[in-house]
Amino acid sequence: MTSTIRNRVLSAAELERFGNEIDAVRARTVATLGQGDADYIRAVAASVRWIGLAGRLLLMVGAIAGALVPALLWPVCIAGTLLLALSKILENMELGHNVMHGQFDWTGDPQLNGQAYEWDIAGTSDNWRKTHNHHHHTWTNVRGMDDDIGYGLLRLFPEQRWKPFHLFQPVIAVVFAVLFEWGIAIQDLRLGRWFAGKLRFAQLREQFRPVGRKMGRQVLRDYVLWPLLAGPFFLPVLLGNVVANVLRNLWTYIVIFCGHFTADAETFPRESVRNESRGQWYLRQLRGSSNLTGGRLMNLMTGNLSHQIEHHFFPDIPANRYAAMAVEVREICARHGQHYNTGSMPVQFGQVVWRILRHAFPSKPRAASLALQASA
Amino acid sequence: MTARPRSARRLARGLVRRVADVMAPPQALAFWADRLVPGMDAGRARVLERRRASADAVTLVLQPGRGWGGCRPGRHVSIGAEIEGRRVRRSYSPTAIRADGRIEITVKRVAGGKLSAFLCDDVAVGAWLDIGPAFGEMTLPAQRDAPLLFLAAGSGITPLMSMTRALAERGMPVRLTLLVWARRRDELCFVDELRGFARDMPGFDVRFMLTGDTATEDDEGIGRIDAALLAKHVPDIETRRVLACGPNDFVDVARRLAASQALAFDSEAFTPPRIADDIDTSGSVQVTLAASQRVLTLPRSSSLLEALEAAGLAPAHGCRMGICNTCACGKRSGSTRHLHTGALEHEPVTALRLCVTRAASDLVLDL
Repeated sequence: MTSTIRNRVLSAAELERFGNEIDAVRARTVATLGQGDADYIRAVAASVRWIGLAGRLLLMVGAIAGALVPALLWPVCIAGTLLLALSKILENMELGHNVMHGQFDWTGDPQLNGQAYEWDIAGTSDNWRKTHNHHHHTWTNVRGMDDDIGYGLLRLFPEQRWKPFHLFQPVIAVVFAVLFEWGIAIQDLRLGRWFAGKLRFAQLREQFRPVGRKMGRQVLRDYVLWPLLAGPFFLPVLLGNVVANVLRNLWTYIVIFCGHFTADAETFPRESVRNESRGQWYLRQLRGSSNLTGGRLMNLMTGNLSHQIEHHFFPDIPANRYAAMAVEVREICARHGQHYNTGSMPVQFGQVVWRILRHAFPSKPRAASLALQASA
Repeated sequence: MTARPRSARRLARGLVRRVADVMAPPQALAFWADRLVPGMDAGRARVLERRRASADAVTLVLQPGRGWGGCRPGRHVSIGAEIEGRRVRRSYSPTAIRADGRIEITVKRVAGGKLSAFLCDDVAVGAWLDIGPAFGEMTLPAQRDAPLLFLAAGSGITPLMSMTRALAERGMPVRLTLLVWARRRDELCFVDELRGFARDMPGFDVRFMLTGDTATEDDEGIGRIDAALLAKHVPDIETRRVLACGPNDFVDVARRLAASQALAFDSEAFTPPRIADDIDTSGSVQVTLAASQRVLTLPRSSSLLEALEAAGLAPAHGCRMGICNTCACGKRSGSTRHLHTGALEHEPVTALRLCVTRAASDLVLDL
């Protein structure tokens, strides 16, 4: 599969107009933020809580009643596990991720404050705010600056240097998907730097302290305390929690990899962000991101990362607005001759899988990276 | 470890709290606590009763959640409500503080005021409002050695009213004269109650001073505060402790007239926040950093992040272009302008981004 990008190279004036038009979409949306958006995110938060409670109760009932009436064990425990996974997916994607971007800071509700929110995964919110909100969103798909390109583990673009280690990446990618939250948890520790001897162990230990605390808390919550509540019937509960967390990991992995590693997604050299204009910044976000088609359920389940392009344009605008903004963004891109990367989840993820397999082997970029702007 | 042995009950309660804390994230605990026992949250208060206080004011009786720290007469609390999805907060001085923990606030409709309009017109009995801990310095003098004089103008009556009520409850243990100013008669609050106090309690005297109406009752007067007026109504001012509350100008005049004569003078001034509508980016403003207790003079021309860095500070920051939210911090008061959109923001907000915001007026930041 090869890239099929058909982008017009924009002049400086066109690029400025492009940026201004995207800014105008933003301003129009900001002007209408109000009660509906606050009600929406609170409804999501309430769903997370109620579905999570239902899942945990069903697991408990399935484990205890299942010991007496074995026919109940599997169906009830599976239902509980699926509900718990659903609650965790919603909490990660539509609630935690979006709140931590500061999308609802304007409400002034302390429960929705981006700096204070702590989410329900192994990694700390503070580390995520740094690796994701800052590094990834500022330096989207810039090689050597955006650590999310392969997470320092996978080679997904021919521009990344090949090493024999990458031959194992089809297997590594699967393991990484299953353990995704743990990978994210240690992302900011940059173990690679320690292996390379660039980081002292004392420093690493210092940085690990809050992460370790959060990890311990998560293990205690899902794998010790909740199962213990079922007493002698703890095993199905433990298993249900493990499966729910893995399901959430797999789903978030798929969604996130579909966001930037599809066939048409581009990466950029460091030089491209030198003196980057606002228009260039938008263009880089556009060319580095890809959307997923689907209805409202897809939007909800992906935390609206089905609108990855809009999310990268407007990371701090409530995600429930992306679908409406996308209509205008798409039209602006079309008018400026810019490819708007979108497709169904199976197709997009198929392209990701192809990248993982193809670039496990040595590969070369087809052509020099496309310029974001016409040279003068 | 404390030296005192802990009771088994306290230990158990602590253990339950710690286990609950691990079993559910803090947001989840807050969510369930709110559903199980809505009255537990010390940061919220329920509206139990509402009644008209004057032509353009209502009185709300509030029941703060358990654990709310209480309030002494004369102090203020921050009251907030959600309006169009945004929490809007303003300070009010409770006009009554009851023994059962309930408080009353009297809200006058301010022209263009979001929260005052909401509280006057829309808030229903049973609704929940945000409430903050009490603050403020002007309270009843501890010494009961001298008679008191209260000078109130406009909304300045509110802290003085709760003090008057507190004294009335104790049978007016010290002589008190209250002079209260309003433009028109129908803008005065608590008139019947104050007249009742004056009738029943020999130590209490009240005068309603009108600046835009004629005086018809015996206890009414006309005119703004001046030396002659004070001399007429309070001939013994040199024996009194004076407490004044009202707009800045009123308190300034009161201080000039009374501070040197009276036994003691205490005051609290308020003025509706000056709404900056600057286009001008020249000059500088005073930025108070509340957490680190510093006051800086910063230029209005650059972003707050750049200005703070130029002043030698190192606030947390990331992208420096308003995307990553790393530099978000709370603003308690003042006006700011967004560098990209040009939008002016006057409300106290929980998260302003230093990198894309410049000061439009003096500010207080949570830094």
